[in-house]
Amino acid sequence: MYRAHTEPKLIQKWLLGPAGTTMPVCISEARPGGKIRYEWTIGDGTGFYLTGEYLELEPSSRIVHVERMYLPDPTPDNHVETRFDPDGAGTLMTMRMTLPDAETRSRMLATGMEHGMEASYVRLDSMI
Amino acid sequence: MQLAAPFEMSQPAISRHLKVLEGAGLIVRRADGTKRPCRLAKAGIEVIDQWLAVLREALAKNYEKLDEVLAALNSGNGEETL
Repeated sequence: MYRAHTEPKLIQKWLLGPAGTTMPVCISEARPGGKIRYEWTIGDGTGFYLTGEYLELEPSSRIVHVERMYLPDPTPDNHVETRFDPDGAGTLMTMRMTLPDAETRSRMLATGMEHGMEASYVRLDSMI
Repeated sequence: MQLAAPFEMSQPAISRHLKVLEGAGLIVRRADGTKRPCRLAKAGIEVIDQWLAVLREALAKNYEKLDEVLAALNSGNGEETL
């Protein structure tokens, strides 16, 4: 699970969202201060990207990073802690996203909404 | 009072939370004597549900793919194809 969240070749295989989306560019420098850059291309040739930085890494168990999405305007910095804990035969993954304040969170949700609508329209286009 | 009962939170704190929910259009409150009954605001909840549905679908697809990636890693012969 840790590898699937930190190694570019693995991330490119699954972190894609709606069908038809690919990730031609995936930079993931898994060390404190290392850069993150994911670029997605939607079926119609348009795309969007995300940048971020790793803050803390505990191999196999924990990742702390910040990220922002460009749609194309950047969303507020999202501070994300991802934990992987053994759970029976599998792994329990816990993600905690923290935004600096309530006002930022509102803006984030508004952007997410817009983005969600965009994804819906993209899917709708593919159905017509 | 009824709404506060399940939570380890003071009545004023619950009232503040309800005020935020009301301001966000997620609940509707009315006055009934000294009581302030609340109900969910359908329109507000539906917007959240639509947004979550889009996220749910995208994330479900991602995690289905992640399962395949993990299965390939675990089978041991996935390395060549990575």
